[in-house]
Amino acid sequence: MSAVRVPTGQPVPALRIAGLERVYGSIVALSGVDLEVRQAEMLTVLGPSGCGKTTVLRLVAGLEQPDAGTIEIAGRRVTGPGGSVPPERRRVGMVFQDYALFPHLSVADNVAYGIRRDPDRAVRVAELLELVNLPDAGDRMPHELSGGMQQRVAMARALAPRPDIVLLDEPFSNLDAALRTQLRGDLREILRAAGASAILVTHDQDEALTLGDRMAVMVRGRIEQCDPPEIVYGEPATPFVATFVGTGNLVHADCRLGVGMTRLGPVRLVGASARIAGGALAVIRPEHVELEEAADGPAEAGAWRVVRRRFTGSEILLEVEAPDGLRLWCEAGPAVRRLRIGDAVRLRLRDVETVAFAPSRTHQPAAAEPAPVAAEAVVER
Amino acid sequence: MQPLTAPSGLPRSAAGRGLRRWALAPRARPPLPLLIVGLVVAALSVLPIVYLGIRAAGTEADAVAFLLRPRTIAVLGSTVALGLIVGAGTIAIGLPIAWLTTRTDLPGRRWWTVLTVVPLAIPSYVLGFAFVAAFGPRGALQSLLEPLGVQRLPDVYGLPGAACVLILASYPYVVLAARAGMLREDRSVEEAARTLGDTRRMVFRRVTMPLLGPAIAAGTLLAVLYALSDFGAVSLLQFDSFSRAIYLQYRATFDRSLAAILALVLLGLTLVVTFGEARLRRRAREFAGRPARRPVESVTLGRWRWPAVAFVAAVVGLALVVPAVTIAFWLIRALGQGETFRVGLEPILGSLGTAAAAAVLATVLALPVALLVARHPGRPGRIVERVSYGAFALPGIVVALALVFVATTALPVLYQTLALLIGAYAVRFLAEAVGPVRATLARTGLRLEEAGRTLGDGPVRAFARLTLPVVRPAILAGAALVFLSVVKELPMALILGPIGFETLATEIWSTTSEGFYARAAGPAAVLLVLSAGAMAVLLRDDAR
Repeated sequence: MSAVRVPTGQPVPALRIAGLERVYGSIVALSGVDLEVRQAEMLTVLGPSGCGKTTVLRLVAGLEQPDAGTIEIAGRRVTGPGGSVPPERRRVGMVFQDYALFPHLSVADNVAYGIRRDPDRAVRVAELLELVNLPDAGDRMPHELSGGMQQRVAMARALAPRPDIVLLDEPFSNLDAALRTQLRGDLREILRAAGASAILVTHDQDEALTLGDRMAVMVRGRIEQCDPPEIVYGEPATPFVATFVGTGNLVHADCRLGVGMTRLGPVRLVGASARIAGGALAVIRPEHVELEEAADGPAEAGAWRVVRRRFTGSEILLEVEAPDGLRLWCEAGPAVRRLRIGDAVRLRLRDVETVAFAPSRTHQPAAAEPAPVAAEAVVER
Repeated sequence: MQPLTAPSGLPRSAAGRGLRRWALAPRARPPLPLLIVGLVVAALSVLPIVYLGIRAAGTEADAVAFLLRPRTIAVLGSTVALGLIVGAGTIAIGLPIAWLTTRTDLPGRRWWTVLTVVPLAIPSYVLGFAFVAAFGPRGALQSLLEPLGVQRLPDVYGLPGAACVLILASYPYVVLAARAGMLREDRSVEEAARTLGDTRRMVFRRVTMPLLGPAIAAGTLLAVLYALSDFGAVSLLQFDSFSRAIYLQYRATFDRSLAAILALVLLGLTLVVTFGEARLRRRAREFAGRPARRPVESVTLGRWRWPAVAFVAAVVGLALVVPAVTIAFWLIRALGQGETFRVGLEPILGSLGTAAAAAVLATVLALPVALLVARHPGRPGRIVERVSYGAFALPGIVVALALVFVATTALPVLYQTLALLIGAYAVRFLAEAVGPVRATLARTGLRLEEAGRTLGDGPVRAFARLTLPVVRPAILAGAALVFLSVVKELPMALILGPIGFETLATEIWSTTSEGFYARAAGPAAVLLVLSAGAMAVLLRDDAR
């Protein structure tokens, strides 16, 4: 089918997906997925394994066909009613999870694979190898390279034909932790220098939060939320997002006039949840809670007890239990870093803005998850 | 003795020595007994060939003139032509079969997958016998057609017949190699090429074929090697390739050093092919992807379904059904004419006895060699491994001739004894016994023994209690392979066997050569049953 320019006053998005559906036999991989990637933007898609995020990439690349929905790349309709553009004419660059380098070709030939008609390809290859910081690796064979180097060659190969959008399928999952952090920064810079628009799918929330200009959270073939990372963390759209991204406690709150009254104190509600009236579940992040050692020890009335301690290097999280059994994850500030399991503490809420979910909302898409159904519940990631 | 490998980071002090003795690290210096067995085996494989060279060099005749004789040149030409035709033929048959059984909806493809590989178990001279006894003069087809007035069939002897038989005997090498490549192929590599702007057809040309190429070429070279080394089929079909020329030279003249010269030329030819095969196989390994995670979509054959089935069935028919029917025809004919139908007990005992003895001996040698190769990857291990693989690739006629020279001049005690034959078999087929054991050892690693050591076992005890049970099936599989190879082996039995010694192989060969097809049918049937039995054991182990 021919490339149809969609007339619009605004800049054309690099990618626009609408109503995408994909079914494998009886398994619904994608249902009604809408996404948009703006020019030069990095969109990260975060979701547990098997949520359908890789399927989105394969449909965009044209390696599989959707059962319904449309895909436009740089304003060109590539999938939709009326036909499908084959992968080789979509102008996408894909970085596969296992890199899929051509084992019989040198690094330079791998990078040049998609630009063999370009008379200046030697220059372009050198430029790209420079960009991915492998200027001298052109003559080497893929199996001689480390995992991190292979990953960068895969990046250069995907960028060489100047694709309209770059698709990255869990590009760091085969690397060890130290390398991952370093390459994450490199990747960001490489894409920015190339001015490329990109989608990166991952199951690692740090990756999604740090790399994305915006991030989409996906579960069971649906997009739960698509917003800048700060919003996804600060104003999660669903209970699933609240507990999947970062650590979130869901605490019962009586809401009125934009204030939720919890057993720990009031929270200010923002966004749509400001309009909730009545009982709801408020999202309390560990950093929302201030801990204090109970002066009278365990004897103190209403004191909470530390039941678990999680040290991550930069911070300490404590799980505390109320006399009635409610548990919360809290951040231990500098003053209480020495608290141990069994110690008694007092809790106080800081003055925070957060969101709450009215009971009906908890039955939204994530209802199939082990989502909170009781009036009060805490989900630990 | 100088340490042959660097000690694994342990101080080379007295305390270090004490420690090293207990170290399980794979780079630790090989224990002396393993080293001795390995090097002795390697020496036994190499020395006869060296001796062959000495003998050829010491000839009184003018070696260069002999090599440049028109007849020698003609033999070289015939052999090369045979190799090329077999190479082309096995690709033409093997590649489509591999593709049809891995990538299409060929009806009954699981059955065809097994049936198309079975010819590998049939010795070339049985196929040769079947071919001659079916299509040759006074063959089954001729005697069936005679009443209809057909007096002559096209001649089966010479290059066409030999090439046909050898292609049918060795095309499974190409099928196996190509199948393995096609099954291992990494789908995402092809997908990457699509996203980079290639159409399906271009992906096939730029990615699929270059990646499969080395594996297919390696499989083809194995088939060529088989053809170059073959003695049985070429001699029954009276085609003068090197093997037959060497045998005739050896039998005909007193100056056996001329046979030695021919043998050296054949040796050179096979070494070149072996070397090429090893290189291609290494390359194919570098290209091998992880096993496909997504099921590979299969091509719908549509109206080509039945032509495809007809093609595969024709190959299986020629390679399996024709021999079986021919053997049955001659068995029935023999019984009908009241001809003394007997498969003498001697050839059966000769085959089984030597095969069993060689299998036991090879297995006993295989364990230390496999341990050396798998656990001590230093230079001695590499040498032993290469030499035993090389010995396996040598043409039987060359090895036999070399051993005759060794025995007649250096070890007259052994000349014309069963001990020499059995020993020769054990060393020649050692690679088959080592292979499965070595692979299992490599896969198991040292974890089991290390666990045993931490639980209080000494090194020997831990090996016996933990590793040995794990490798036992591999040991048995290796023994079965050696047994099968020895039962099928012809030229060494023919040349090295004591006077009056008979095996099923020599019996089939000599009776067919003399045109007594009915007398060859009995041993051939027994041999097929034995091969099928050993093959079934191997396949069952494989399935498990």
